[in-house]
Amino acid sequence: MVVVTSGSRPSARPSRSLEPVAIVAAGVVTPIGLELDAFWSGLLAGADGISAIERFSVADLRVGRGGEIKKLPAVALGVRSRAEAMLVAAAADLQARARLDAAPERIAVCVGTALGGVDELDHALTGDAGARRALDGLYDSPGHALAAWLGARGPVVTVSSACASGATALGVGADLLRDGAADLVVAGGYDVLCRFVMRGFDALRSLARDRVRPFDRRRTGLLLGEAAGLVLLARERDVRGPRLGRLLGHGCASDASHVSAPDAEGRGLEAAIRAALTAADVGVDDVDFISAHGTGTVLNDRIETAVLRRVLGNRSGAVPVNSIKGALGHTMGAAATLEAIMCLLAGRDGWIPPTVGFEEADAACDLDYVPGACRASRPRRMLSTSLGFGGCNAALVLEAAA
Amino acid sequence: MSRGARLEAVGLLTGWGEGVAALPADARVTAAGRAVLPLARPALDGARFRRATRECLLGVAAVEAMLREAGIERETIRGSGTALVFVTAAAYGASNVEWLAGQAGTLHFPYTAPSVLPGEVAIEFGLTGPYVILIGGPTATVDGLWQVGRMIATGQCQRALVLAVETFAECEALWRRARWTLPGPLVESAACALLGPGEAAVTFHARAEATPLERSAEARAGCTMACAPLVALALARAAGQEAALVSGTWRGRTAALELAIAGRPVRA
Repeated sequence: MVVVTSGSRPSARPSRSLEPVAIVAAGVVTPIGLELDAFWSGLLAGADGISAIERFSVADLRVGRGGEIKKLPAVALGVRSRAEAMLVAAAADLQARARLDAAPERIAVCVGTALGGVDELDHALTGDAGARRALDGLYDSPGHALAAWLGARGPVVTVSSACASGATALGVGADLLRDGAADLVVAGGYDVLCRFVMRGFDALRSLARDRVRPFDRRRTGLLLGEAAGLVLLARERDVRGPRLGRLLGHGCASDASHVSAPDAEGRGLEAAIRAALTAADVGVDDVDFISAHGTGTVLNDRIETAVLRRVLGNRSGAVPVNSIKGALGHTMGAAATLEAIMCLLAGRDGWIPPTVGFEEADAACDLDYVPGACRASRPRRMLSTSLGFGGCNAALVLEAAA
Repeated sequence: MSRGARLEAVGLLTGWGEGVAALPADARVTAAGRAVLPLARPALDGARFRRATRECLLGVAAVEAMLREAGIERETIRGSGTALVFVTAAAYGASNVEWLAGQAGTLHFPYTAPSVLPGEVAIEFGLTGPYVILIGGPTATVDGLWQVGRMIATGQCQRALVLAVETFAECEALWRRARWTLPGPLVESAACALLGPGEAAVTFHARAEATPLERSAEARAGCTMACAPLVALALARAAGQEAALVSGTWRGRTAALELAIAGRPVRA
């Protein structure tokens, strides 16, 4: 059990240097594991969380597979909204690993999501005429429900930077601590696999017909998944006892080029990465491992590879790069948080999970993508990258616990 | 790096018209029972906007209103030195309802994401700096003002836009279900604040209740959700205040911060 001492005085104004923020513990619910240890074991084993979708009709869609959680943990049973239920499940896992030892008004919640409560909006329009269901359709409803479940009465922030939300939520959460607006922050991301989003990506023909193959020559698209991932953030100086690691820096930037496609040169992603490295005061030579966005779409993987090659320079072949979307599907608002957690677990245990689905190299994707099986390696400093609709880009720099 | 940030200008479009001069003395009385006061779809030129939703165009129009208010050109905000923080409680509702109704074409789907509205704004004005999208009512806007204050103070950007857009007309039936939770009338709004470097830090204040400025903004403009703190700042600036204690209340939480205000308003 981790003990977090609370009560640091709020700073009078924003600090100019970034104070280290500890990632004390994590909790998850995912298609390959309903809690952190099962998730991690599944990633290392190269588990495939993609299956036929059962929870809603997909009969009229080209693709009916995704990373669906078939049965949520018992703690989430009876929670009306699936988004809230997933957050509760992840929070219960988190609380089993760390106490939220601070006054309720000093505990903040900061979650990222691409879809919020849209599944509830669907219910509100098609059946349930109640006022509460209509309000549940607002994208910030699940975050407030999580705060209520936790008994947190500090700031409640919902970030919706599309599929980069789970990264920016961690960055904003860290800033809440640095500015003294909270003593503990439960931060992370979530999203539900629902007909609304399946129909959208299916219509855009972005979904793979067989499997997700990040960076593979035969990649044809992404598959969607659902998950929630949460971490407990605290100021480094307030933490006594073990922790998973530290969030050293966050960067975000806009492409300003297209509403749904990434910038052809990846300029926004590169700006976000460089901003995160600057915030972390970490040089590119100190990056030991990269968790890529790696969706498995032709465009994303080529652009992301080119950006990483530019950033890494002559180390581009020497730094392992993986994507866990082959195992989970693209879990949207949860993705970046799960990837950050994966990075810290890799640093803790000395194993980097493989890129499930990557088998055949592509001339345009020529980095070390950790093919086949997990690799014995203990990265210390890690970079995680994310992109999303609206030209959203975000990057995190993380450090494993010593 | 500056020590803090200050408000330079606020562009304000509401169902009442443009700027604070268009606001009535009492929104509830002037609304005369109307549940929603809509904003018309802005008539913006360019083939690029042919698929853009009304709320996207309102975002662009709010930034243009801010540029007019500040008396600056588009080039001033273009590039990586300008951060963009977008805030809304509900502006994605119309596009989501349209998608759920199955009436929209394939290319409409991306517009269901809240991030596409600021994405269109970023494209239009060439904004490539730090970029954050927050969902929620007035408290989220206070959080957004704090966030950009921090970005400026820590040198992540030279200036920042806090943009808020709220539309209600397409989802009026849904809002009617929840009318007991809202002060009403629902007034569609789009507002953009420009913040630049300043001497005073943007500081959070712990408050249990709304500030007089928040109450004044609600009385004058009605329920504008995420736009409300920007309405309040526009009122404070028009009144010649040198600083404002602005608050926002949403879902039982009140957030407040103090922000310095630069110069005199160009137009009251």
